[in-house]
Amino acid sequence: MALGDPKLTRLLEHPAIWRGRSAARRLGLPSGFAALDEFLPDQGWPRTGLIEILVARFGSGELSLLLPALAALTRASSARWCVWVAPPLTPFAPALAARGIVLERVAVVGGARPSWAFEQTLGSGACDAVLAWLRQPKARDLRRLQLAAERGRTLGVLFRPRRAAGEASAAVLRLGLEPLTAGARITLLKGRTTHRASLDLSWT
Amino acid sequence: MSERLLRVLLTVPATGHAERGAPLRAVVPSARAAPIASQLWAAVHLPGFDSAQKLEQLAVSAQRFTPRVSLVPPDGLLLEVRGSLHLFAGLAGLRSELMHECLRHEVQALLAFAPTPLAALTAARAGKSPVITELAQLIGQLAPLPLSALRWPEETVLRLSRMGVRTIGGVLRLPRAAFARRFGAAQLAMLDRLTGRMPDMRASFRARERFRRRRELDYEIRDHGRLLEALVPLFTALAGFLTARQSGVEQLECRLWHRHAPATHCVLSLAAPCSDAKRLAELFSERLNALVLPEPVRACELRAQAPVAHLPGSGSLWQPGEQGGDAAAVSADLIERLRARLGSGAVQGLALREGHRPECAWTVTEPAAATARTAASAVGEPQAAARRPLWILPAPQPLEVRDGLPRRSGALRLVSEPERIESGWWDGGDIARDYYSALDAHGVRLWVFRDRSAPHGWFLHGIFG
Repeated sequence: MALGDPKLTRLLEHPAIWRGRSAARRLGLPSGFAALDEFLPDQGWPRTGLIEILVARFGSGELSLLLPALAALTRASSARWCVWVAPPLTPFAPALAARGIVLERVAVVGGARPSWAFEQTLGSGACDAVLAWLRQPKARDLRRLQLAAERGRTLGVLFRPRRAAGEASAAVLRLGLEPLTAGARITLLKGRTTHRASLDLSWT
Repeated sequence: MSERLLRVLLTVPATGHAERGAPLRAVVPSARAAPIASQLWAAVHLPGFDSAQKLEQLAVSAQRFTPRVSLVPPDGLLLEVRGSLHLFAGLAGLRSELMHECLRHEVQALLAFAPTPLAALTAARAGKSPVITELAQLIGQLAPLPLSALRWPEETVLRLSRMGVRTIGGVLRLPRAAFARRFGAAQLAMLDRLTGRMPDMRASFRARERFRRRRELDYEIRDHGRLLEALVPLFTALAGFLTARQSGVEQLECRLWHRHAPATHCVLSLAAPCSDAKRLAELFSERLNALVLPEPVRACELRAQAPVAHLPGSGSLWQPGEQGGDAAAVSADLIERLRARLGSGAVQGLALREGHRPECAWTVTEPAAATARTAASAVGEPQAAARRPLWILPAPQPLEVRDGLPRRSGALRLVSEPERIESGWWDGGDIARDYYSALDAHGVRLWVFRDRSAPHGWFLHGIFG
């Protein structure tokens, strides 16, 4: 009997049957893309924890993927900081504002110790989301970052090159991203879910 | 008539029932007025003086004569010295000591003594140095002084002089009710304070307190961790000092002494006043980590300049980020911690600016305080949003050109209509550019432009991301 079988589906709808997936469901942060919400394990980005987005090249669309969720976070009434740690270029403020980000909530951290700054901001409890671009973080560091994110109840997003896909990571969610003409192909590399697949998303 | 008025003025204030219609009669309670007779005020007038800081310094030195010193900015000091006379072998002794003190501060001073503060000050301002010890002599001594010594508004003095009144004695001779009606009750009240009819309350000067504590170490310390441990008692003492005064510090200086090398200074600036020893120590440890010590430390000293009023807020039930949780405290803490370690330029906020040129449309700012819920940034039209990249290069980067088309590790494919930005002719930074979005060989969307002025080069200005 396949999973899509209507008979099986009806059987599973019986109220006496408890299924692990629905019981442990905690709604994630809406990503702003309906197809992506369907695809992600928590129906959206996790609200807490470290996630990784792996891209072949900087600027492949990884920021556009996150922006609707970030905009929603900064516009919330009890919004905390949205911190960008060691971005390779300067975020262009007019474009961020035009996409609905409240600039007063944004802080950009430069300096010589991005890894330390990332851990501090994640664990401080003062941020809703922290985006970071680190150069070759170690697996042990990632474990610490994941713990810091849980301590600070913060979504940490780490952008890494695609070649890191083979390395072990403590992140709760790992996505690969390749640019398409007017969108991106998203591959689920790690996540608390059973299906592994890819999704073609278009920016509209 | 003048004789009658004089008699009224010289009677002890509470007995002034002769003037039932006077507007300010009821203000003076007898119990308070009584000590006026036993007061002796010294006024120090410093002609042409306007440095508030030096005045405060002088006030601090003057506190050795009496605890009741008050400032009369910008150029006066008042000291109540009756109780101190016997300590300086009488008035002459105190007077010469006070003069000496002023000379030590290198200021020219005029000293006058009188039973009321205003009278002493007025006499000194008039350039006189009388010694009036009895209330009975007061009016007689003040009467010949010019009106200008009262520092009344120009217009009042002018009107009085038109009436033929040029001295203080002349003003005191005028009928009270009519004077109050013509020149205001405030002026009459001032005259009453001048003559001791009404008590003159002066706020005593309190020197600004500073915290300064030094600790000699038992042995020389090189290790940062141990140095911090050695500093902990100083931080605890500072926290006690601040808590007792309900104040906090915004800037903290630590000096570390070495055997040969000059002392190391380390200044910690805080975003908000703080009085918590633990937090100060934490911030300081971040600051210390960035410090290179030339030699082991033999002694350390903590100095706090000018504590500011600060009441620690009450803690909230909710954690920051939870429903109703206040993130203000932790956000200031985070910014401070990052700045202590990375330097103050490492943490920046972003803001919009009015400007059509991409370079002029934004600026870096101080990170906004998360408490202040400022107006949400204006949301532009979505079409315009899609035309702007999320990343901008610090300066346009020239692109390689082949056959009139730009290249960046392979030919770029222009995928949008051009958008012309032509602006800035008024400030010398004028630009004339046609912006396109372009796809490179790897599918990354770039924001490129072609300069409309010769030599029509292609530049990369942003990445859509």
